[in-house]
Amino acid sequence: MKINHKVLLLEIKNFLLGKTVLTGVVSLLVFGFYSFYHGKQLIGRQQQTMASVPGVQKQHLQQILAHGTGKMVGTTAYYPFFYTTNPASPWAKFSIGQRDVNPFTLKVKMLAIEGQLYDSELTNPLTLLVGNLDASFVFIFLFPLLIIAFTYNVVSEEQENGVWKIVQATSNGIGAAIAGKLMVRLAVILVTTLLVFTAAVVALQLPASLPTLKLLIVVVLYVMFWFTVSVLIIALGKSSSFNATALVCIWIFLAILFPGVANIAINNSIPVPEAAETAIRQREGYHAKWDEPKKPTMEKFYAVYPQYRTYPIPEDSYSPGWYYAMQFSGDLESANSSEKLFEKVMQRQTLSERIASFNPVIAAQQSLNKVANTDLTSHIRYLQSVKAHHRQIREYFYPFIFVDTPTESIDWAGYPAYQPKQYVNEPVFAGMIAILVWVVGSLLFSLIFFKRNFIKIIDTQNA
Amino acid sequence: MMHFKFITVIARQEWASIFRSKIPLALFSVLLVVSLLATFTGWQYVSKFNHQQRAAHQQVHDQWMSQPNRHPHRVAHYGYLVFREKSALSFFDFGLDSYVGNSVFLEAHRQNTVNMSEAGFSNGMLRFGELSMAMVLQLLVPLFIIFIGFQTVASLKQNGVLKILLCQRASYLDILIGKTAGLTAVGWTLFLPLLLLSLITGNLLTGQVAAETLLRIVMLTILYALYFLIIVILVVAVSAVSKSSKNALMSLVLIWMLFFIVIPKSAQTLGSSLHQAPDKIAFEQTIEQDVSKQGDSHNPDDPYFANLKANTLKKYGVDSISKLPVNYGALVMQEGENISSDIFNRHFDHLISIYRSQNAVCSILAFADPYLAIRNISMNLSGTDFESFTAFQKQTEKYRFEKTKKLNEIHLTQIKYQNDNQQKVSAKNWQQQPDFAFQPLPVAENLSAGSFSLAALVLWVLAGFGVLAYVSSKREYQL
Repeated sequence: MKINHKVLLLEIKNFLLGKTVLTGVVSLLVFGFYSFYHGKQLIGRQQQTMASVPGVQKQHLQQILAHGTGKMVGTTAYYPFFYTTNPASPWAKFSIGQRDVNPFTLKVKMLAIEGQLYDSELTNPLTLLVGNLDASFVFIFLFPLLIIAFTYNVVSEEQENGVWKIVQATSNGIGAAIAGKLMVRLAVILVTTLLVFTAAVVALQLPASLPTLKLLIVVVLYVMFWFTVSVLIIALGKSSSFNATALVCIWIFLAILFPGVANIAINNSIPVPEAAETAIRQREGYHAKWDEPKKPTMEKFYAVYPQYRTYPIPEDSYSPGWYYAMQFSGDLESANSSEKLFEKVMQRQTLSERIASFNPVIAAQQSLNKVANTDLTSHIRYLQSVKAHHRQIREYFYPFIFVDTPTESIDWAGYPAYQPKQYVNEPVFAGMIAILVWVVGSLLFSLIFFKRNFIKIIDTQNA
Repeated sequence: MMHFKFITVIARQEWASIFRSKIPLALFSVLLVVSLLATFTGWQYVSKFNHQQRAAHQQVHDQWMSQPNRHPHRVAHYGYLVFREKSALSFFDFGLDSYVGNSVFLEAHRQNTVNMSEAGFSNGMLRFGELSMAMVLQLLVPLFIIFIGFQTVASLKQNGVLKILLCQRASYLDILIGKTAGLTAVGWTLFLPLLLLSLITGNLLTGQVAAETLLRIVMLTILYALYFLIIVILVVAVSAVSKSSKNALMSLVLIWMLFFIVIPKSAQTLGSSLHQAPDKIAFEQTIEQDVSKQGDSHNPDDPYFANLKANTLKKYGVDSISKLPVNYGALVMQEGENISSDIFNRHFDHLISIYRSQNAVCSILAFADPYLAIRNISMNLSGTDFESFTAFQKQTEKYRFEKTKKLNEIHLTQIKYQNDNQQKVSAKNWQQQPDFAFQPLPVAENLSAGSFSLAALVLWVLAGFGVLAYVSSKREYQL
């Protein structure tokens, strides 16, 4: 295919000077910058709150200590909260994901853990419902619209105002003419993508490392997907109105209807009644122990912590060792439904990833959230780190509880420090491949349709 | 002056031409399937969910009733779990339901958050938007009206029919009104019976339809009718000012994007950055500070509680706590509860008022975007709005306070100060306490919460006809 340079230059001039390009690119940049501001602000506020945690924790423990002076550790240990935080990855500003829905700080007491894991953050539910205008939204939702606006009338416009006949007559290859027009648009789209992405990297201070590259690859693949879908629709050889209508319908289907139906399917096939069950069981599991003989409760505790067997627990009166053993058995009794809950949440994740391979929009969003560590899996990892910390705390204080120790004679801040979950460089190959398959598929089909709807006609005319 | 006969002719002709073509029917059948699917799955989900919540509630209630004799303060810590049920119309409009908590643990001394929202257990699929009948009516029906109506006037210009029509006795306004009437008739006929029928059937399947619910259904139907009318006017107006059908379609699709995606999202994020709400840690810190300023029940030298002690001793004419006829520990505990609950409520109300001002940005922008108006009022009337959830939070906190207060009274009168924690009281004491039952907001309050949206919808209709009159008066739009 030879592309006439003169025609190509003219096409570039025509397209770039048109109103559409300027309006489209400028409005995308405006939304891009707003999204950077929003992402930075939201995550920045979270970081700020998390930065205040050590101070809050220190002051809190000092207060507890002041109140507890003269009492035993076993009494004082009931009061303190131990704070944990879920620091945002550097990419969370790009794709906020579920970080606004799920709590990013949790405080736990030494009491049964299950009732404390699901405390929610204070948020305006309407803000959650509407969702974030972050960089990932700009790429996932707004870029397709730009691509549609750039491409829907590529050939049909000329056909409609009669220029196409002249092109057919003068151009030495109709395929080359179409390819040239499409290439110009693709170039503008890719340049805009890179422009907005680079702006994101600079504005959001994304590190120059593999995850940033992954974000870029997903975004470029995703943009390519929408471009090839547009090409596919153009290849059908229908009117501009038809193209625009069809592309908007595809957009609505992939970005709104399909996820809506998928969400229903997931909720119906993997319900989580365990959420309520865990809370009920833990509460009952602990409180029932008050009215039961102490020995069985202690035996359950000793099964895990045999080293405390040597300390006497009076059967007829209250003792702190027994109290914390009761709390512990509350957790033991709800452990089953709690594990099931985590398991089901992971099942939901797997199922939705499988569904995503049929829908590039979902695949792209999930991949971005994965890279940013802002998805549900990441939150579950956080909850697990909170559970681990809770255990560390208990195990640090148990010795002082079982052996009567005055509050002031131990180091209340000496417990093992909380280990925040590390950034997990999750593979997003599956998502990328899913999008790529769609890109290649729509390209192949558009070639077939172009041949049938455009090239062939020329052949017959030339014949 | 308007010619009603002419308007009717145009409207009839518009109606006939839409039903003559196959595309509108094909699009309608897609929407029909989607909305039936949305209604059915929504209804199924809500009834399953409510069933689950009711079962959990029953279990908690049974456990509460079958407690053995216990120390009242133990019972106060045993606490109570309340499970939020979805409203009768929530299957139609999910509103905020998936983003607010579903259960709350009520105990002494602490105001817990309402936890376990569906969004918390979702991996983000939810964030694309939920498929409900309200979503179909709010988002997709306007698109349907755009697709069947974009060429309504523009094509008359293109093929010259408009000039012929105008040469007859008809005015341009007659034609625009006629077109509006025809398109509106189509929209209403296709979607209003569907709306009415699904709402009534959905409620009949759950039990009988309460008179209040029926009132809500009727109002929803009227408001959606207004909304469709607004969209039709918009479509006709844009079609009338466009040079060609294609231009009209492009402008309308652009407006759709603006109204349904861009403005709502920007408005809410703008609202939350204009009015910054404290996060949980800051919120709790300020409450804690205020409480310790007022009086610290743990501190024996605290002036507030020293005063309480002196007054109590004076009231009963004794010189030491142990000689009081009531349990002083319980008295202090209730005083602490009074203080903290009072301070919490004050801060909570303030928090809610910040959220309200965040949401006000959306309510005001309803005057610029009719989608925001219908979205808000539809949530209000379906009982899935911000105010309904706030009412739930406030009612559970009130219930928590009352319950704890009653237990403290038992503690005060039936447990002796000496050897306090060795004693127990009969379970009968708390078995008589009333159970929690959520009182949904009455329609009047829902409407007052949605007053901006209502005003916006009415204003849009009036302004719409104004715009049609304006467009018809301009010669440039007749060519």
